[in-house]
Amino acid sequence: MLDWWLPENVSTYGQEIDWLFHLIYYITGVTFILVFATMLAFIVMYRDRPGRKARYTHGNTTLEIVWTVVPALILVILTLLSVPAWSKIKMTMPETDFIVQVTAKQFNWQITYPGPDGKFGTADDKTLLDEMHVPVNKIVRVHLKSQDVIHSFFVPQFRMKQDAVPGREIKQWFEATKPGKYELPCAELCGFGHSGMRGWIYVHTADEYAKWAAQNLTAEAAPTTEAKPDDKADAKKEAPGKAEPKKEGKAKK
Amino acid sequence: MSAHSATAHAHVDHARHELGFVRTYIFSTDHKMIARQFLFLGLFMMIIGGLLALIVRWQLAWPETAVPGLGGILKETGGILEPSTYNMAFTMHATIMIFFVIMPILAGAFGNFCIPLMIGARDMAFPFLNMLSFWVTGSAGIIMLSGFFVEGGHAAAGWTSYAPLSAVASYTGVNWGQNIWCISLFIMGVGSMMGSINYITTIINMRAPGMKLFRMPLVVWSLFITAILLLLALPVLTSGVAMLLFDRTLGTNWFKPAGGGEPLLWQHLFWYFGHPEVYILILPAMGIASEILPVFCRKPIFGYHAMAFSMIGIAFLSWIVYGHHMFVSGMSPALGMAFTVTTMIIAVPSAIKTFNWLGTMWGARMQFTVPMLNALAFVSMFVIGGLSGIFMASTPVDIYIQDTYFIVAHIHYVVFGGSIFGAFAAIYYWFPKMFGRMTNPFLGHLHFWGTFVFFNLTFFPMHIIGVGGQMRRIYNPTQYEFLVHQQGWNVFITYSALLLGVSQIPFVINFFWSLFAGKPAPLNPWNANTLEWTAPSPPPHLNWGPTLPTVYRGPYEYSSPESKEDFLPQNVPPVGAAGARRH
Amino acid sequence: MTTLTVEHPTDPRRTNGSLPPVPPEGGGGDGPDRDPAPRRPPLDNVRLAMLFLICAEVMFFGGLVSAFLVLRVTAAVWPPPLQPRLPVGVTAVNTLVLFASSVAMAAARQALRRDDARALVRRLGLAAGLGGAFLLVQGYEWVRLVSFGLTLSSDAYGTTFYSLIGAHAAHVLGALVWVAVVALLAARGRFTDGRTGPLRACAIYWHFVVALWPILFVAVYLI
Ligand code: HEA
Ligand code: HEA
Ligand code: CUA
Ligand SMILES: [Cu+2]
Repeated sequence: MLDWWLPENVSTYGQEIDWLFHLIYYITGVTFILVFATMLAFIVMYRDRPGRKARYTHGNTTLEIVWTVVPALILVILTLLSVPAWSKIKMTMPETDFIVQVTAKQFNWQITYPGPDGKFGTADDKTLLDEMHVPVNKIVRVHLKSQDVIHSFFVPQFRMKQDAVPGREIKQWFEATKPGKYELPCAELCGFGHSGMRGWIYVHTADEYAKWAAQNLTAEAAPTTEAKPDDKADAKKEAPGKAEPKKEGKAKK
Repeated sequence: MSAHSATAHAHVDHARHELGFVRTYIFSTDHKMIARQFLFLGLFMMIIGGLLALIVRWQLAWPETAVPGLGGILKETGGILEPSTYNMAFTMHATIMIFFVIMPILAGAFGNFCIPLMIGARDMAFPFLNMLSFWVTGSAGIIMLSGFFVEGGHAAAGWTSYAPLSAVASYTGVNWGQNIWCISLFIMGVGSMMGSINYITTIINMRAPGMKLFRMPLVVWSLFITAILLLLALPVLTSGVAMLLFDRTLGTNWFKPAGGGEPLLWQHLFWYFGHPEVYILILPAMGIASEILPVFCRKPIFGYHAMAFSMIGIAFLSWIVYGHHMFVSGMSPALGMAFTVTTMIIAVPSAIKTFNWLGTMWGARMQFTVPMLNALAFVSMFVIGGLSGIFMASTPVDIYIQDTYFIVAHIHYVVFGGSIFGAFAAIYYWFPKMFGRMTNPFLGHLHFWGTFVFFNLTFFPMHIIGVGGQMRRIYNPTQYEFLVHQQGWNVFITYSALLLGVSQIPFVINFFWSLFAGKPAPLNPWNANTLEWTAPSPPPHLNWGPTLPTVYRGPYEYSSPESKEDFLPQNVPPVGAAGARRH
Repeated sequence: MTTLTVEHPTDPRRTNGSLPPVPPEGGGGDGPDRDPAPRRPPLDNVRLAMLFLICAEVMFFGGLVSAFLVLRVTAAVWPPPLQPRLPVGVTAVNTLVLFASSVAMAAARQALRRDDARALVRRLGLAAGLGGAFLLVQGYEWVRLVSFGLTLSSDAYGTTFYSLIGAHAAHVLGALVWVAVVALLAARGRFTDGRTGPLRACAIYWHFVVALWPILFVAVYLI
């Protein structure tokens, strides 16, 4: 099995990240081989043998300038290549009408859809626990919040990661390119239940998504999860007890 | 010389008599004894930190099975780790390794040992303060260990202790453990400040005649720069942990958003300290490698000035790159971009150093002694660790690999492959001077090869599972579907880690056996140039007889055309043509 | 073991054109950097150490003050509307008291230079007394503020105020103990033999603690 590599990429900007990753992989790979080959050659050639004399030299300015400037140039180029992808992913916010609110808490993802009226904070909001449904090939905007500690919204196949910080709302986006079911782990240590804090992202085709939305996001559909306000109080009550955490951690297997 | 050492010996015996056991071995103000104390502290803590790592590894390979040997300690679960215990294990593993292993060994032990002996001083500028600095650091260590025994367990929020997880007890369920973590690091900060003030003052004011700044051995340069970083970086951590402790115990609101605090503030404070800290961990090791390579290459270091200036450059730059730990933390992305630029730049001085080490090997006459092997391992492993740093320096790539095992691999290639191999090199190299006895080369080789091979087998695959997406700090990777196919690697890594632990046993045996029964060390067993080799082994109190050595040249005059021997100690007066060339 | 004299090699060595640096005349150093002893460094050990201690303290307070500024700048309104105002007037006067103690400390150093042991003790005592007065007034103001409802845990305003001012007060207290010890030693006749290190260190530290205050005063009370 040789799939020990990046997981399949299914988002638009993922390609750019993968491209940079491979570029750096080759640059550092070549550097690594050069350094190690030189070192091994020196170790073999210049090992202590009878009669061998070491060279008395304090340095060589030309050489030193070369090996300062060449890596510096490579690194500058790498920086320049990194900047566009970064500004595309994190610094621009493409227009979209598909907005989902994600509120992290110990140890769940709460995914809130604005409901038929298209506004958050109204009575017809729909909140799902640990599952998110989005259409394929559509820009999705995520408004990330946290109720308690810092969590991190990580979708390996989307090459997407963003911490959710309590007291802030952080806006992110992605565009999935392939329908499927993807894991949504939490990537920032957030307490004893950090491992196992995991949601699922379902990427549907446009039709499927419409069907799903009709069933679940309309005013009549029952909310999938309990009301929000008590969650924090619950977490606080549970936390200090030692028995509870164990259940929490194991329940998710 | 021999007459000197004879009187010095007499002097030492006399002093021992006068001072008694406690003043000689425990509350000693002699920099060499303090160095030994730091070394023992660090090695002792390394066993604890290492065993914690093995517990972590066991859980990752065979999740939720009883860890052998823990049955007696975790009675309720019969030795099975709970998630909270797992978090505690890696948190304390990292805290202990960084603050109570590497810093005491590299900065504490070798800083104390090398600085006065290599610049030709009789002791530190403030011997009493020096003693205090050890005891303050040691108390911090004891306090840190005491946290394992309090109700609720030890700190479990990672060595970075991100607020608000660490700021509110109910979020982790840890109450006193995290407080103790803060208190211990606060005290450790005070101890390291005492030490660094001492180092800096000593280096500036107490060099022997002729020991100009640019004749100092590079290891002294590295310790000098490290001390400055310590002096300026640790207080920031100290203020941070004080605020954190206040948040936890006095109800302040520094990091708690509910009361108007700012969680990211902690990260800024922590990494403003934390990034210089990682260079504090590596710079002494770089100095040690720069010291050992020329000796066993029998060749001057390549580009002495470039070596010194690149360390200074690293020290300066280390203040402006810290944001690379926070690329996806919610910090302004524009700032992130700026930090990419600086992070890329900081690789340049490291490149200079790497190529200069290679230059030193070029045309050498290499002797593969145990210290040399460890120094070579340092250079090669540091390169791997540094190169993986380039992936993360590129912001878009870091989005994906941040908080994965790729980072864990990077950490260990630089801190184990770098700092620990540097520490091993230093221990083997200076052991004869420090304890007056040679180490056993066979056990040394055994230790080196075991460590080198199993180190790579342990940590290299972490790059692979990191690229595969495995998050760090997770209790059980098999909970995730996209990680299950990699579980084989986790098992493999754990076997390697266990063998890596076993490979340390020859070191422990070698260390203690040589301490008591090793071959007595000659004055200058490696034919090295620097001043410490002109003092007796081990050097007596006040290091030299009545006169201090005078320095005539730089530290790396190996295979000089002016000397018949292939080395030319710093303190030997010039004669003949060399003297004549002056006119 | 070590070769003590240099002999030339019988056969020349490969040097790639590199030559050993020309060795210096006589002693060891060329240039003023490290001439053979005796030699006086520009700053003696005590001054140097105090300088670096102050650098470390500056970083410590730098951490606190920048954290305070971050909270302050990000807060919607500052100071929060329902909290008591800080007593600027009294504290300004108190600032002068602290400055006076620094003057007294400078005078004590003067007395030491003139070998006037009695004046030394007196002026050290004065410095300590003024410092103590500063602390007392601060403490009184704190008690009043607490009674008005501003506490450490009330919000970011209280948090930063008490932490910053408290950190400074702790430093003043520490320095005060140091001055008191030094004054006692001086009263017992120490420092007359020219070994004045602890006293000079203490004086430098005292000036530092005093000089720190206006910065905190401006940051916390005025802006
Ligand atoms: C001794 C410690 C040490 C050292 C020396 C370094 C050195 C470097 N580190 Fe590392 N780092 C850590 C210890 C260290 N680090 C730790 C402990 C963490 C994790 C903290 C935590 O979250 O718990 C971390 C995390 C970390 C991150 C954050 C990752 C994340 O959490 O997302 C980043 C990101 O940029 C980074 C980058 C770098 C870079 C660019 C260097 C550079 O200095 C490396 C420079 C060296 C080289 C590049 C190799 C030699 C050069 C050549 C052979 C020349 C040719 C090279 C090229 C042309 C590319 N490190
Ligand atoms: C600073 C130095 C340092 C050192 C030396 C090590 C050494 C090791 N580390 Fe660690 N590590 C860190 C610093 C270090 N680490 C940091 C900073 C983190 C991040 C923590 C965080 O996320 O907060 C980390 C995290 C970390 C993790 C990730 C945990 C997680 O994210 O969930 C893992 C997992 O494998 C690991 C493993 C190891 C192993 C197997 C070793 C081995 O090399 C240890 C080998 C040593 C020994 C085994 C001890 C010596 C043994 C003897 C002397 C023999 C005598 C004793 C007997 C066998 C009876 N480390
Ligand atoms: Cu939420 Cu980790
Ligand atoms: Cu860093």
